[in-house]
Amino acid sequence: MRNVCIIAGGQSQWGVRQATLRDMFQEAGKACFADNPAVTNKDIDGLIVGSAYTERCSFQTHLAPLVAEHLGIKPKSVCARVELLCATGSTGIIMAYGLIKSGLADVIMVIGGEKLYTPQRWEINFSELASVDHDWDGAMGLGLPPPIFAMVAKQHMKLYGTTEEQLAMVSVKNRRNGLNNRKGQFREEITLETALNARPIVRPLKLYDCCPVTDGAAAVILAVEDKARHLTDKPLVYIRGAGQASLHNMSANMANWTTWESLKIAAEQAYKTARVSPRDIDVAQTHDCFTISEIIEYEDLGFCEKGEGGYFIQEGRSDFGGQVPVNTDGGLLSCGHPFGATGIRQAIEIMRQLRGDAVRQVEGARIGLTHNLSGVIAAHTVVIYGRDLD
Amino acid sequence: MNKILEGKYAVTMDMYPLQGKEFNRIYPFYEFLKEGRLTTTACRDCGKKAFPPRVVCPECLSENLEWVDLPTRGKVLVVTEEEVGVPLGFETPLIHALIDLGGELTLFSRVVNVKQGELKEGDEVKLTVFPVDPVSVEGKKGAVNLQERVFFAFEKA
Ligand SMILES: [Zn+2]
Repeated sequence: MRNVCIIAGGQSQWGVRQATLRDMFQEAGKACFADNPAVTNKDIDGLIVGSAYTERCSFQTHLAPLVAEHLGIKPKSVCARVELLCATGSTGIIMAYGLIKSGLADVIMVIGGEKLYTPQRWEINFSELASVDHDWDGAMGLGLPPPIFAMVAKQHMKLYGTTEEQLAMVSVKNRRNGLNNRKGQFREEITLETALNARPIVRPLKLYDCCPVTDGAAAVILAVEDKARHLTDKPLVYIRGAGQASLHNMSANMANWTTWESLKIAAEQAYKTARVSPRDIDVAQTHDCFTISEIIEYEDLGFCEKGEGGYFIQEGRSDFGGQVPVNTDGGLLSCGHPFGATGIRQAIEIMRQLRGDAVRQVEGARIGLTHNLSGVIAAHTVVIYGRDLD
Repeated sequence: MNKILEGKYAVTMDMYPLQGKEFNRIYPFYEFLKEGRLTTTACRDCGKKAFPPRVVCPECLSENLEWVDLPTRGKVLVVTEEEVGVPLGFETPLIHALIDLGGELTLFSRVVNVKQGELKEGDEVKLTVFPVDPVSVEGKKGAVNLQERVFFAFEKA
């Protein structure tokens, strides 16, 4: 089988942007090529574009040829769009990985972006009603995810004794990690007191427990190993394995709110294909859309026992110097969350960590993991990267 | 305002489902709802009762389905109160609860006619059905027909 490497990555400025979706795709594409001058738009044979709200917020479908035209890419192996809401980006990466591995493509750019701030702010919250099962959960007003994750947090706190302080610690850590990430939405440190005293969104979740709404784009380039050797002079970073799982979509069919079974399935598949175990992971970017999410992810990714996620953050085991630093670039809580771009941002940070040129470097990191969740905690996507193949 | 769109309504942006039989094969759900019944489909071949209602059994893929009633009273397991960011068309705070419908189904439902802090774990709730804005459907020769719609939530029993 052919091996697949990630050879470049870059992102646009993220935040509340005075820019269109296509402006940001161009910025991300340029930043990606700037990361690795050895590869140019002429080297790309396939393009996968990710965006969840392109129709709603930009009134635009058929996005991939549009992005190709703007970036001077002339795809010949694949030119398509993918969508899996919040996990759109890592879905594009898995698709590209499979296409390259199979021999259908050699060098693919995966680029994802989202324009969410429209001239009338009410449209953002209203459009979110399309993200859940529209006819059932949407009609109940379950658009923006805070009620869903507050429901998760309440149950996790009741079952395992997780505290609001432990939730807040996730946000304090991730804000600290994002301090020097100049493309991120927030670059301000917060204290535990600030987080605990912030205004409630849906109790027990307060302002800093929730990731923001974000405009932005990000891009990576994947290449088959023999081409990658000529297309970069940086250390090679391989995709070692991946898994993506779903067991329900509508809230009524979520069997367990505090143990995310489909995350465990996706993780098991990723660990198996990568031939590693949770203990081998040196650095991880997990989907901290809410502080409670990151706590459950420690557990269901196997970094700690079920119910111990609160202690995992409290004891600093997910911080620098701990067992596995998590969200070393600031995560969603700090960088923001443009749905189509988040999974790609996670891949860029892992690539940099494994190359050894991250802004906040985990010394000697050789195996990294990304985790993306989407919908009503309805699908989970895990990708494992490594400096080595074994 | 774009003049072309004046007086027009984009149904594709509506927060409630299309319920008429011209648009939706599970329209009986909404007909039953108007009678105060909460229903779903069950498979006559394998017995699987699925929610939301289907046209194909998700277990054995049979189309041999029948409408069955679900309990209209339930017990509150957990309550959430959304204070910020409620979508247009819903009240603030928007109150939701995880509701156990007699062990048959656990619904994450909107709870109406209740103030913040009033709904508690263990409370009994019952189905409530209300009209929602009708949609205009184009008929022949430019006629515009209003199609009535309903939806449901729960309230304290
Ligand atoms: Zn069946």
